[in-house]
Amino acid sequence: MKTNKNNMAGGLDRRAFLKAGGATAMAALMAPGLVGRAEAAGFTGSLDMLAWDFQPDMIKTLVGEWTAKGNPAVNLAVIPNVGYSPALQTRLRGGDAIDLYYNFAYNSQKFVDQGWASKLNGLPGVDDMVADMFESARPAYVNASGDIISAPYFSAVHMMHYNQRMLKDAGIAAAPQTLKEIYDASKTLKDKKIVDAPYVAYWVKEFCEEYLHTYLLNEGVTAFDAAGKPVFADDPKTVGVFEWWQAMYQEGLAAKSVLNTDPGKLANQMAQGEAAFFVLHHYFLTSIRALGGPESANVMQSPIGGSNFTFQIGEVLQLGAGEDAPRREAAWDLMKFYGWKDSAGKFTVFNQWAKAAGLAAPYPGFFKDPDVIAAFPDYYDLPLISKTFETGSKVVPARTLPWYPDFQARVGDVVHALLLGQATPAQTVEDLTAAANSAQKGRSL
Amino acid sequence: MSATRKLGGSLRNDDGRFGLKVTAPAAILLAVLLLIPTVLTILYSLHDVPAHGRSLGPFVGLENYTIVLGSSVFWRSAWVTFLFSVGFVVLSTLFGLAMALLLNQHFIGRGLARALLIIPWATPWLMIGILWKWFADGSVGGLNAVLLMMGATTDYHDFLSDPNSALVVTIVAAVWRQASFAGILLLAGLQTLPGDLNEAASLDGANLWQRFRNITLPWLRPALVTVTVLNIIYAFLQFDVIFAMTQGGPGDATQVLSILIYRQLFGVTQIGLGSALAVILGFVALAGGLITVKLLYARGSQPA
Repeated sequence: MKTNKNNMAGGLDRRAFLKAGGATAMAALMAPGLVGRAEAAGFTGSLDMLAWDFQPDMIKTLVGEWTAKGNPAVNLAVIPNVGYSPALQTRLRGGDAIDLYYNFAYNSQKFVDQGWASKLNGLPGVDDMVADMFESARPAYVNASGDIISAPYFSAVHMMHYNQRMLKDAGIAAAPQTLKEIYDASKTLKDKKIVDAPYVAYWVKEFCEEYLHTYLLNEGVTAFDAAGKPVFADDPKTVGVFEWWQAMYQEGLAAKSVLNTDPGKLANQMAQGEAAFFVLHHYFLTSIRALGGPESANVMQSPIGGSNFTFQIGEVLQLGAGEDAPRREAAWDLMKFYGWKDSAGKFTVFNQWAKAAGLAAPYPGFFKDPDVIAAFPDYYDLPLISKTFETGSKVVPARTLPWYPDFQARVGDVVHALLLGQATPAQTVEDLTAAANSAQKGRSL
Repeated sequence: MSATRKLGGSLRNDDGRFGLKVTAPAAILLAVLLLIPTVLTILYSLHDVPAHGRSLGPFVGLENYTIVLGSSVFWRSAWVTFLFSVGFVVLSTLFGLAMALLLNQHFIGRGLARALLIIPWATPWLMIGILWKWFADGSVGGLNAVLLMMGATTDYHDFLSDPNSALVVTIVAAVWRQASFAGILLLAGLQTLPGDLNEAASLDGANLWQRFRNITLPWLRPALVTVTVLNIIYAFLQFDVIFAMTQGGPGDATQVLSILIYRQLFGVTQIGLGSALAVILGFVALAGGLITVKLLYARGSQPA
């Protein structure tokens, strides 16, 4: 990855540039979908993109498709998922200028504030992109001041994966939804010796923060208000959630290994019939089915939280902070292609991700696109997922606040102490509140 | 006489200049790689450094140190570091010594055994961590199988999910590598021990333990000091194995100071706090090493 330099095409003078600009404007008037492509034509260098290591060949193919349409070449660097954020921050801190990169949504505002990423306001088509999103998704990409801070890389909603065969054997008629129903069903399955540890959750330290929102939203609690105040502390249902977590772990309804295992292994436990319930992003159904284990075909998906909400997540694409206008416009064009639609107005990239891994996009149009519908395997209840995005899920806007990564980093220790029985549910509420407050205050461990 | 002195002085000057020239590249490299980062880290620890790193930020004096030393997270991590270090230093030194004594004996296959001793040392720390993570896995790990075969356990155990066993297993994993290093150094020391010393002691009626205590150990003291000091430094700075195996978890059960520093510097980019932690850890490691040297030499520098 090299440092940004003015990469105006060799020999491209002001006149030629203005001509290209005129052509761009004309194309924009005639076909909105072509806007990006014409803009990218003003830059003939190569762009630098950084991604984490999820299906790197697919990423290469996708950016290659963009380049093949007459756009600039993309120098793609892929680094491991584990430790991505520290590695990325170290690179940016060291002056590495990356035109476009994957980022965790909770880092977005911090990165913009640090001058590592650009706001997207005013870029051609960006308002259309935001308008195209589910209303529920928008606060993840647009902050309270109206600044557009990122574009979607993928989105997902937390769903319950359950083993239909096991429930039937245990005499449970429908998939449990509320915490009490899940606890009772898990107990029944364990008592009837159908499965020893029925419930698995991805309870590793780094992921506990996401579960915090999932389970609180399931109980109707939004953890933070828009200003970032930790309002979960004032809601008695929060203690109830933590009591439930502790009971599930301490009573052996969840395997002890969930504190340090990876989601691939959890999906395999579902496929092998070593667990009956698994709460995580909807697309894990693809993994469970693709594993082809003895129970893979029996694993179904259902909403969680009863009449409440589930958590909607989405990792993001971040536009680098380079100030070279043509380069930036080319990067924005790639960003639109990768995080919204191609020049023909199709969800080309999201469609490929849907086919490959069941990933979704936070756009209602995505779920209505015939290609996308065809891309999802039959075992997905796509209308249910679409409805969950639309009305059954929330993002937590406070997650994009600049202090949030500090809080995110502390949740794991506190939640693990609860699960291990080293802290009471009430103490956990206090500890998380203190963690949120000190993260907002800044400079504390 | 005067001419001889003059010649001697000139030779000394030439030697000095030659020595300076020879060591200059290494000294410059050391300055660049060690001195500059050390000075920068100390400077950072006195500032509220912004994450972007384009400036030092406001000078805050010792405030970062006050925050660190007033935090229960730091003290908990310091305690875990202490436990890890004690286990690591004691076990790797003892196992290293045991291996060196064994490999100093004459037996068939000694050459092969000595070559095998190199393998753990030649494996990178990170690889050791990954290997042991799988080895200690609760469902497919070989460690459970071994313990079951030995009758030491009756069921599979998730060692890395249990806050008590997680620390022990990370210590054992790190010791597995470091003991081989200690063994190699101590074996080199043993090979310089004249055989007639032990023979003479045997003739005088000294038993095995007396020969070990009064001849072998004193002979090995310089090598033992080196091994122990290096082990202490490795213990305090240990990161890779623990991070690969547990990332500091479950909870904060294996969160040694180096992992806390990593989290502060690279995870949440609190550069000032992370640097203060690094300075404290560096000081503790240095002090630990110096105290050990002093203690080991104080116990009689004369061979018994």
